[in-house]
Amino acid sequence: MNRIAAIAVHTFKESVRERVLYTLVVFAIVMIGAGLILGGVSVGINQIALVNLGLSAISVFGLLIAVFIGISLVWKEMERRTLYNVLSKPVARAEFILGKFFGLVLTLVVNTAVMTAGFYLVLWYEKGRLTAADVAPLQAIYFILLQLALVVGVALLFSTISGPALSALFTISLYVIGSLLGDLRAFGEQSGSAALRGASYVLSVLLPDFGALADIAPAAHGELLPASRVLAQSLDAMLYGIVLLSATVLIFERRDLR
Amino acid sequence: MSAEMIQAKPRRIAAVAFVAALAASIALRTSLDRKATKQPAFSPVEYVTSGKTLRQLSFGYQGLLADFYWTRAVQYFGRQKLTGTGDFQELGPLLRITTELDPHLLIAYRFGAIFLAEEPPSGAGQPDAALALIRRGIAANPSYWRLWQDLGFIYYWNLKDYARAASAFEAGSRQPGADVWMKTLAASVAAQGGELETSRQLWSEVFSQASNESIRRSAQEHLAAIKAAEDIGHLDQLLSEFVRREGRPASSVGDLVREGMLPGWPVDPSGVRYELGSGGKAALGAGSKVDLHLAR
Repeated sequence: MNRIAAIAVHTFKESVRERVLYTLVVFAIVMIGAGLILGGVSVGINQIALVNLGLSAISVFGLLIAVFIGISLVWKEMERRTLYNVLSKPVARAEFILGKFFGLVLTLVVNTAVMTAGFYLVLWYEKGRLTAADVAPLQAIYFILLQLALVVGVALLFSTISGPALSALFTISLYVIGSLLGDLRAFGEQSGSAALRGASYVLSVLLPDFGALADIAPAAHGELLPASRVLAQSLDAMLYGIVLLSATVLIFERRDLR
Repeated sequence: MSAEMIQAKPRRIAAVAFVAALAASIALRTSLDRKATKQPAFSPVEYVTSGKTLRQLSFGYQGLLADFYWTRAVQYFGRQKLTGTGDFQELGPLLRITTELDPHLLIAYRFGAIFLAEEPPSGAGQPDAALALIRRGIAANPSYWRLWQDLGFIYYWNLKDYARAASAFEAGSRQPGADVWMKTLAASVAAQGGELETSRQLWSEVFSQASNESIRRSAQEHLAAIKAAEDIGHLDQLLSEFVRREGRPASSVGDLVREGMLPGWPVDPSGVRYELGSGGKAALGAGSKVDLHLAR
């Protein structure tokens, strides 16, 4: 456990040294601030536009950070040969993977916290005060974090089997497919073909359901999702996270690192 | 030539190239922009006509897309209104896409319906499309009583269907949190549809809730017209009274003042004196900014 924590902390420190991270966070905060302009040029949606744009910026820039830092985590260690140093110590490959995963998730939590602080600062500027109803975006941000954790898991999985370019391509592709799972299932059901229906069902239960975690619109209207939904999505994300990490560990254990 | 000079040369060339290319680029873009304004306006709903499709392709950012589409609808409405052509073809589709992307964006139903229902050139003159929009809003937000108010308003004002207006106000009054005046309004519309007092009540509500300058101004113009129509009705009564008293028709509104029937020369909401029109009836004075058609 201590070894996983040590690798996680090291990964976090290494990630926060990436300049691209700060650029993305600054861009995100600028985007959040742009919500003020969007609300200004429209009619009656100042706060809705601010929440929608703010949460979308947190989500999009979080995804970029998750993909572009996630894909290079293992690959960079192999390129620099630092992986061999780590593994020559009494550190299991599984511990290395888990440490990398938690380190990057920690990075994303910290980044998201910074972007969230920026978001609430802009919201406070727009409204003049914050009320209890303003807690709704926090629920959406929690869902965004679950989504980002899964994206990190996917990126980590692909980074153990291919280089950064292909890993990015695979991760983004899986994110797109995972965002459309509901539609995939609906198309299968409407197709009239039993084989297609079966295939779409199998895919929809095997792939990560990113679409279910993308629920920003209710937060913009100050609506809280039911606790049962939050619990179910949290459980689903945790279980799928375990699936991704176990698969990554299985592949990495078998990988010839000589 | 010193080493420093050799190094400085490419930097100077790069600086000159930067300034020259930037200037040329700005000139080219300005010229292109100027040409672009002469071309037909880009249709905002030309490529994607279904909000449902956009929703599927939005990857969870449909709320943000809905905000963009609502903003486009507002800007489109404003632009077309300014042109005065009365062409609002894209307004309905833009509002449909907006509300399909975010069925809980209440403002798009409420103001969108007003934009659609208003007579040209102030609006699109499509009350049926406005009704359809509001009905979709009610289906998606069944307990939001203000949409019933808007439904009743369109029936009352744009379609002059007082029975349906009354039943819409009545249905709205049964929704949770509905203001008590909805019940009163339902009753007064049922009893005296088309009365100026009922119209004033409706437009006052629109005015008090409008967060958009264009709608607020429109409500103000309607309220001014209603006030002028009431004033003219009152003046006509006084003119009849004058005939009874004096045995001759008044030669001007001033006669009523001189006879002490009015404390002073009455002015309409734009500050212009009422005058006598054809047939000896009271009318708006020359230069009045009030549009009496808006009172009916």
